[in-house]
Amino acid sequence: MPIHITLPRLGWSMEEGIFLEWLKKSGDYVKDGEPLFTLESDKAAQEVESTDSGILHIPSYGAAPGAKVKVGAVLGYLLASGELPPDEQTSSPPLPSSPAPVPHHLPLGEGAAADTGSLKHKLQSDTPASPRARRAAKATGVDLAALQPTGKGGRIRECDVLAASLELGGTGMKWRTTPTSPLRRTIAERMEHSKRNTVPVTITTRCDATGMVSLRTQLKAAAEFRVPSFIDIITKLAAGALKSHPHLSGRWADGAIQLPEAIHIGVAVDTELGLMVPVLRDVAGLALSQVSQKSQELFERARRGGLKATEMRDACFTITNLGGLGVEAFTPVINYPETAILGVGAIVREAVSLEDGTLVSRQQLTLSLTFDHRAIDGAPAARFLQTLRQRLEHPLVWLLNER
Amino acid sequence: MKSKPQPLNELELYRKMLVIRIVEERLAKSHQRGLIHGACHTYVGQEAIATGVCAHLRSEDAIFSTHRGHGHALAKGLEPGSLIAELYGRETGCSRGRGGSMHLFAPEIGMLGTSGIVGPCILQAAGAGYSFKLMKTDNVGVAFFGDGAANNGAFHEGLNMASIWNLPVLFVCENNQFATEVPFASVAGNPSVAARGAAYGMHSVELDGNDVLAVEAAAREAVQRARSGGGPTLLECKTYRTRPHAEGMGDFTYRTKDDVEQWKTRCPIKRLREHLLTGKKATAAQLESIEQEVHDLTEVAHLFAENSPYPSAESATSHVYAATSLVAARDVPAPTASERELSFMKATLEALSEEMARNPKIFVLGEGIGARGGNFATTNGLFALYGPERLRDTPICERGFVGLAGGAAMSGTRPVVDFMFADFVLDAAGEIINQIAKIQYMSSGRLEMPVLLRGCIGIGHAAATHHSGSYYAMYANFPGLRVVVPSSPRDAKGLLKTALTCGDPVLFLEHRELMATKGPVPEGEYYIDFGQAAVVRQGSDVTVVALALMVHKTLAASELLEVDGISVELIDPRTVAPLDIETILKSVKKTGRLLIVDEAFGPFGIGAEIAAQLADIGFDELDAPIRRLNGKASPTPYSPTLEAAVVPSIDLIAQTIRDLYAE
Repeated sequence: MPIHITLPRLGWSMEEGIFLEWLKKSGDYVKDGEPLFTLESDKAAQEVESTDSGILHIPSYGAAPGAKVKVGAVLGYLLASGELPPDEQTSSPPLPSSPAPVPHHLPLGEGAAADTGSLKHKLQSDTPASPRARRAAKATGVDLAALQPTGKGGRIRECDVLAASLELGGTGMKWRTTPTSPLRRTIAERMEHSKRNTVPVTITTRCDATGMVSLRTQLKAAAEFRVPSFIDIITKLAAGALKSHPHLSGRWADGAIQLPEAIHIGVAVDTELGLMVPVLRDVAGLALSQVSQKSQELFERARRGGLKATEMRDACFTITNLGGLGVEAFTPVINYPETAILGVGAIVREAVSLEDGTLVSRQQLTLSLTFDHRAIDGAPAARFLQTLRQRLEHPLVWLLNER
Repeated sequence: MKSKPQPLNELELYRKMLVIRIVEERLAKSHQRGLIHGACHTYVGQEAIATGVCAHLRSEDAIFSTHRGHGHALAKGLEPGSLIAELYGRETGCSRGRGGSMHLFAPEIGMLGTSGIVGPCILQAAGAGYSFKLMKTDNVGVAFFGDGAANNGAFHEGLNMASIWNLPVLFVCENNQFATEVPFASVAGNPSVAARGAAYGMHSVELDGNDVLAVEAAAREAVQRARSGGGPTLLECKTYRTRPHAEGMGDFTYRTKDDVEQWKTRCPIKRLREHLLTGKKATAAQLESIEQEVHDLTEVAHLFAENSPYPSAESATSHVYAATSLVAARDVPAPTASERELSFMKATLEALSEEMARNPKIFVLGEGIGARGGNFATTNGLFALYGPERLRDTPICERGFVGLAGGAAMSGTRPVVDFMFADFVLDAAGEIINQIAKIQYMSSGRLEMPVLLRGCIGIGHAAATHHSGSYYAMYANFPGLRVVVPSSPRDAKGLLKTALTCGDPVLFLEHRELMATKGPVPEGEYYIDFGQAAVVRQGSDVTVVALALMVHKTLAASELLEVDGISVELIDPRTVAPLDIETILKSVKKTGRLLIVDEAFGPFGIGAEIAAQLADIGFDELDAPIRRLNGKASPTPYSPTLEAAVVPSIDLIAQTIRDLYAE
């Protein structure tokens, strides 16, 4: 095989060089390492050594001295003894090593003609207007040219377009954002999470709270200590009800129900910062007076924003109260991952018909229970509510014996 | 067990040198033919050095080399086809076509790279030595470099660090007498490189680099010393390259043809051949059969390379970042009213402390970060737990220890460089930008560079110009780097933990005026992903983007403006690279107005970048021109009146927002 002698690249950016002269004649035997020809690059002229051995053949179409030659173009051949040079008739003339450059710019014409559309558009919107105002104008059909600009240098702003649109009877309402606290965003996140991850059902029942009211009246008369609130009493009695209906205090996880070791109950507190849920631990193991004391302490710290993270963890049931604000029944949102939440309504005095038909005045309370239908069905949830109602209607019976 | 090096086999040395020679000659020929697209620096004449040293290395040992690195790669075990294909720019090349002649990577065999820059290989080999020592292996790091590098700062900084920490490293100086084309004798105050080793208290040997048996013997002793805990050695091997500096370059403007011919008679291959024949260790027929075999395998390698495909154009930007760069970070726990108040500094200390306890490969380098606990208490208390190997006080040689950190990352550990002030580390810019940022890419993702570079930025307290620069925009300009600029203790902890688990090099820049500030930090561990901006304050009239201290100043300005009825939405990108433009766009969709408040200089800064990106994707959302408010473009002055004049104040921020609102 003839060995091709090509124009070498002498520097990184060299694309072509000036071929100066052969240092050997056609037919000479050239040894590896011997100077073969001289070449001028952008740096200087230099001798180029042969990297192979053989008999030099310089073709008739070979580069003339002083000619500019592309890097990689064939200058000649080294032949073995007796080997014929490639047929000059059929061999391709020296080729540039790199393809012909493609013009970067296409001829004008088609593109220029196609541009006339946007020219018309430009004429229509001579009035300076922000991109946002232009978009609003397009959406509302307001004519920019007819507007009184309020922006700097007479620029039409979005508000100018929206004001005009309002006059034309369109909608141009702009909403104003008020910063919220991280707590607000956390609450939002948790509410959404609960909604996405539970199947909530709310049921309500009425119960007679006259016994609770009179209990508090008697305790107030004694007045030596803090009188437990209605919520304290309900929390204490709910703990007992949860013990006999344990699934209401469980957590639905991976197709199973996890039951707690102790009954920790969260109580929602409305604070200036937002909704907080401090947790009363082991309510079943506390006396009512202790529940009352603990809850007072926690609520006060919650209002000051001084709860520790650990004091808001591990609840298995939550109680929330809108009774103080006159609400009777509502649909509380489960405090995920718990299974149920109890909503306590207002205590209202009502006429109640006894079995013999006589009307008496009683204190009535509505309980709203939201439960996760994945973990528990309607009937057992209703049975829990029934148990709780019985307990609330006769509080002393239970409070006497339960610690 | 690790593979043991073979006992000395002179025929194998002969064969190895011959492979280097024949492959180099093949490459020279291919360069002339245009098969090689860039530069090609051959190793012809110097083969004895790589061959003699690598005879004692295992694949777990790491070598680092220079622009003249083909011989080192082949001696360490790189297949000739893989080398040739790399120079031909093919997919099958050892760097997958991303490196070429001067950027060869084959981590699989401990070839941790060649570099087009003179010097870094010395620091990287010291870094590998540091890794090997920290991980309690008996592997060694080896740097091959020329006489030119012996006049470079990296040589002096690297030798000193290797000596003071007794690192298992070989420094192999191939003194071929020309630094590119400058005679070494003319640029060396002390022409003996070996004598310089003594200046750093290091074993040093000068030897005939063209005698493979001499090199082999010296390297045997040096490798043994390194493996057995005896520390580093400097070998100065006198040699000569008998081809030009690079193929295609004229050779006789700075040396004569006679000189070259004279040195050719001292060819290391010829010498070993004569030694083998006269000592009757091999027959001429045996040697000829080796020569034929090497010629054949080189031809096969060339054909393999020439027939290999070019890498696809679509893959041009793959491997800029590590595959594990964005770890699946856990969610931040929801904020509660009961978060602890911690200072910015304490929050980052907690992050570092948690990650160091988890990952024994994390170590910290810096000035005064050992027993002293750091200039800003960044490592307070950690020295007592982890000792000097993991909390390493360094000499004041920023380039040196940053380069060392790069080599450590390449060899499997996770260095944290605590450089106090961002201004200081500019001395190491070459190591960060040319090496640390590029090696993942050049090695086609086979090396990861988990280097954390942390230090403080920002103007305040008359620190003046060498203790107050910001520089984040500059680093964000370079592909391969992650740039983090937190503004709160909470973000600082979560982002630092991500930085300590991320596969990429991270610049973690802490504003000095924020370091003592306190803020809520969640209990327990959490990570914050890079590239997620925080909406610090919600509003509807003007979007302001700010970083670090400017977040706090803008927040104060926003409260003032609320009274005027201007509602500001404030966004803190938290990481400059990657930049979360989506969150900014979402805000501008609401407000139609964008201001970037930046303490750093305006020209070519982050504000310009955000403005350009936003205009690209959100032009129609804009109801007013995008505005920038920057620190003045001047070095930071000392005097309080001057200093205050170059930083955006709360009043100026408020006024700028008012103006933009009225646009």
